[in-house]
Amino acid sequence: MIEVSHVSKWFGDVVAVSDVSFSVGPGVTALLGPNGAGKSTLLRLLCGLTRPSQGSVQVLGADPRRDPALFRRLGLVPQQEALFEGISARAFVTLAAELQGMAEAGAAAASALHQVDLDPHDRRPLATYSKGMRQRVKVAQALVHHPELLVLDEPLDGLDPRQRLHLITLFRRLGEEGRGVLVSSHVLDEVERFGSRVLVMAQGRLAAEGDFHAIRELMDNRPHRLRVRTDRPHALGAALLASATVVGVWVAGPAEVVVDTLDVARFRLAVAPAACAAGARLLELVPLDDDLESVFRYLVGAGARSAR
Amino acid sequence: MKALYRTFLATQVTKGRLAGLGALGALAVVLGVALGAGDGDDPVGAGIGLVSSYGLALFVPVTTLVFASAVLGEPNEDGTLVYLWLRPVARWRLVAVATAAALTAALPVVVVPMTVAAAATGAGTGLVVATLGATSLATVAYAGVFTWLGLRIRRALLWGLAYILVWEGFVAGAGGTASLLAIRAHARSLLARLADGAPELVEVSLATSIAVPLGAAVTALALTVRRLTRQDVA
Repeated sequence: MIEVSHVSKWFGDVVAVSDVSFSVGPGVTALLGPNGAGKSTLLRLLCGLTRPSQGSVQVLGADPRRDPALFRRLGLVPQQEALFEGISARAFVTLAAELQGMAEAGAAAASALHQVDLDPHDRRPLATYSKGMRQRVKVAQALVHHPELLVLDEPLDGLDPRQRLHLITLFRRLGEEGRGVLVSSHVLDEVERFGSRVLVMAQGRLAAEGDFHAIRELMDNRPHRLRVRTDRPHALGAALLASATVVGVWVAGPAEVVVDTLDVARFRLAVAPAACAAGARLLELVPLDDDLESVFRYLVGAGARSAR
Repeated sequence: MKALYRTFLATQVTKGRLAGLGALGALAVVLGVALGAGDGDDPVGAGIGLVSSYGLALFVPVTTLVFASAVLGEPNEDGTLVYLWLRPVARWRLVAVATAAALTAALPVVVVPMTVAAAATGAGTGLVVATLGATSLATVAYAGVFTWLGLRIRRALLWGLAYILVWEGFVAGAGGTASLLAIRAHARSLLARLADGAPELVEVSLATSIAVPLGAAVTALALTVRRLTRQDVA
């Protein structure tokens, strides 16, 4: 459904997407990456909203930049929040259906709103809608014409847990029907619930791709960095090295040791006995790289290492 | 395309805009009534002066700028253009519907009060018909140009005002070749010709005074279609 070949996109001196290649078929594919990784730019490239600086994009066999007829088969939930504020959700989605050339635009709009759990008879203007409701209106306008391919840029942002579950179920169902669903997210747990193939982007590059579980394993198996505050950093560092649960230790300050470990669980079990053996008091143990940004940085590094 | 047309109208015609521009229209009528109440010996000349120096110089271009620059400019700036652009619709259709909506909003706001003002001067049917023709022509021409401007640049309202005041008002108002490239000069020429008044800045044939503004509108619309086809969409 989607073929991306050596695509780069830069805005002046800023490289947003760098030499990315992948293909996407039917089913749900998640595009995972931290904010600023280039996900939105990549999705815009796929929809023809901007042209690649280098490389080529083919969507459903066509160039999205040159062939507006393709948009009959494509639906997009863009990232930006703005909608036509003065009109109702029904009017907004009906507009989308009419522009898609649907004969029964009003009925199609009502059905699409119903699918995202919104009241088609609500006559309030969109300006009065909450963020979660607006997000669902965006999804409704994207699927009103039953597209073969749905491109969704952070569609779960601002939704409560019940609505998240509802939309995740909807996207999975669309994928099972044989449609292509490409969903971007910066939330790891969210992507896990799609149970899908994953593309991981970081710093404008494709850091990893494949089954979610394989990528999760790769993420879990990376070295973890922790900071230990203690009154005897040198002695504790030596004891930790002797425990063989760390792959690196350095004294980062007068009361601070930083360690790298491949197995956090084993390290946590070993740190107290090591402190006892060294006669050191344990004051604090803090993970330094549990945030998603660190995971992506590691994957980028892993990508670069495997490339070498 | 009806839903698109209605959406464009709904997003442009706001209470604030109607109130502000309606006040300018009411001022035109008041000026017309004041002229009519006077005992000048050249009511046609005075009426042409009012329509020309207030209507064609300020009221018509500013009103059309407000609506036309917003019709595609606002969706382009706030990102809602994507909901129109990402549809299997020919770009010229989008531009045509947008411009039609801008004209629907602007024409009654400018043409009605200016025609009433012309009638109120007591200069006769000739001036009323001339006002109707000249203001309509100018509105159509400005709608094309300002729709393009709105899509082309940010803060189109400010740049449009600069164009109206600097180019149309100052440079082209000085006469000479530059005035041949100003919509206002051709509209004034049409006004004077139809109202049997004294010649205005540019002395051109009736056909030229109509063809040049319409040509400007068509050229601007072609540029808008080209721009919409090629530009990045947020």
